[in-house]
Amino acid sequence: MEGPLVNDDTMIDGEAEDLNEEMSASESESDEDVKLTEPSKTAVYNRDALLDKLGDISWPENVGWIHTLSIDIDQEQEVDVNDDFTRELAFYNQAFEGTKQAYQKLQSMGLAFLRPPDYYAEMVKTDNHMQKVKGRVLAEKRKMEEAEERRKAREAKRLAKEIQVQKTKERAKQKKQDIESVKKWRKQRQQSGFADRGDDADLGFAFEDGKSFERSKGKRPGVSPGDRSGGKGKQAFGKGKTQKKREFRNSKFGFGGRKGMKKQNTADTTYDVKGFKKGEGKGNKKRKR
Amino acid sequence: MGKKRKHSETAAVAVPKKDEAAPERPARTLLGWKDKSEVNGDVEHDDSPVFRNKEKVLVTCSRRINYRYRHLMLNVVSLLPHCKKDNKVESKETKGATLNELVELKNCSSCLFFECRKGKDLYLWMGKCPNGPSVKFLVSAVHTMEELKLTGNHLKGSRPILTFSTNFEKDAHWRLLKEMLLQIFETPKDHRKAKPFHDHMFVFSIVDDHIWFRNYQIDVPHNETDKLPRGGFEQMNLVEVGPRFCLNPIKIFGGSFGGPTLYENPFYVSPNQIRALEKRKKSGKFAKKVKAKTRRKMHEMSNPLEPDEFANMWKE
Repeated sequence: MEGPLVNDDTMIDGEAEDLNEEMSASESESDEDVKLTEPSKTAVYNRDALLDKLGDISWPENVGWIHTLSIDIDQEQEVDVNDDFTRELAFYNQAFEGTKQAYQKLQSMGLAFLRPPDYYAEMVKTDNHMQKVKGRVLAEKRKMEEAEERRKAREAKRLAKEIQVQKTKERAKQKKQDIESVKKWRKQRQQSGFADRGDDADLGFAFEDGKSFERSKGKRPGVSPGDRSGGKGKQAFGKGKTQKKREFRNSKFGFGGRKGMKKQNTADTTYDVKGFKKGEGKGNKKRKR
Repeated sequence: MGKKRKHSETAAVAVPKKDEAAPERPARTLLGWKDKSEVNGDVEHDDSPVFRNKEKVLVTCSRRINYRYRHLMLNVVSLLPHCKKDNKVESKETKGATLNELVELKNCSSCLFFECRKGKDLYLWMGKCPNGPSVKFLVSAVHTMEELKLTGNHLKGSRPILTFSTNFEKDAHWRLLKEMLLQIFETPKDHRKAKPFHDHMFVFSIVDDHIWFRNYQIDVPHNETDKLPRGGFEQMNLVEVGPRFCLNPIKIFGGSFGGPTLYENPFYVSPNQIRALEKRKKSGKFAKKVKAKTRRKMHEMSNPLEPDEFANMWKE
């Protein structure tokens, strides 16, 4: 009854190439479903008998619509089967149109067709199932929101970074300008012969020290690993290059310089037990604590 | 759970019931009902004393059915309150006879038989039972109601609204299929298990010579049960409930699970053939390689190379 089509063998040999091409263009959802390119020649099509049977089984013409509840909707355009989205959209539109027409009819008939909110009856999906559905929907929403937030945070950080870069540039420019102005002033003084020497010296230093204070603030001491303390002791003395070097090393490693790169296990330190606890020998090791 | 009645009993009971419902009710043919002249499409006065939809569908499956298809069958059972689910049918040869007997026994008027072959292909037999036509479909693209992406829900047993695309009027076999689908999937109006409101709808449409089935829940905010608020249609929303499947008609038979073939789908390729073709394609690779080798050999033999002048230059 459900045996293969009659002209099995000829079809396979003659139309194998066509079928191979067809297979790549089969429906997206089922890869078992392939159409022949040409209809098989011996297909039976007995239209009269079909219409006879149709007459046999149909309900009478004048049965009220309320029994069949069926609407015919026109499908305007040809829907491409493989395009999932438009296909589903076409089905949705068909359903929408159908509902509109059906509801209008039902409304005109005056029948109750909308479920009141307090009508509790068995639903086709259990409550447990609907809980799972709800959980999934909420989880998806949350994921989307998190992604949004992350994106916004990234954008904001980028913006903030840009602003910060600009600010530092501004500050650097300002500083350069100030130094330049001081230098110019000093040159002027030099040229005009150094009147009022005492005050100027202090003034000159005051500027420089101010600048050096500001500079080291950016690199806070004690931030990198291996740093011990974050004091600000050694900063005011020493001038020029040595002071710069000292400051830099301080800010990077804290006091005492780089700690990690010294030798640890030397001959001297092997027998140095000062670090260990003194009272260990007094207590009995065997006693359970 | 209805108790199982003996065949003779059901026959006896059925006849007097028919008489009560409609005094002059002949056998169930088109001609019989046309005698009634009161019925003239006036929908307000129910024509229930005249026409009663006594459709009962028997839903069964074959043994060795896949889990996905079994769930599809269970979903269909929950969608049709006028169906009777029966045990698995085990029969290799006499499938038609077995099913016909079963349908008679259960006093049903049509049957949906889910046949799963090789654990991979699902065939759906749909037939009107005493002597009506039957169809065999190949089912594909199955999504059951349990999928979490199908979020709708509706009353169990409420009568659906059916929509068919107008493609169904194009040809004789589509019209026959439409009539069968209508009768099987539409819950009878005054059925015992039917619930009152209409909150879901079935969509049958023909795309690419396949029948696609969808089930949507109608979600519209409302205050009264029989009237939509103004602008209700704009706020109407359809949510898919499931299940989803796609039917490819293979053959239509004149009798119930047998009889003369009235229609064969000329474009149908059975899944076995598709798989065989795939395998043949793959096997063709090796044969081609062997052929290419022999061809090369022949070619070399027929066009011998001239001896190279410098071949022995570095030989001692």
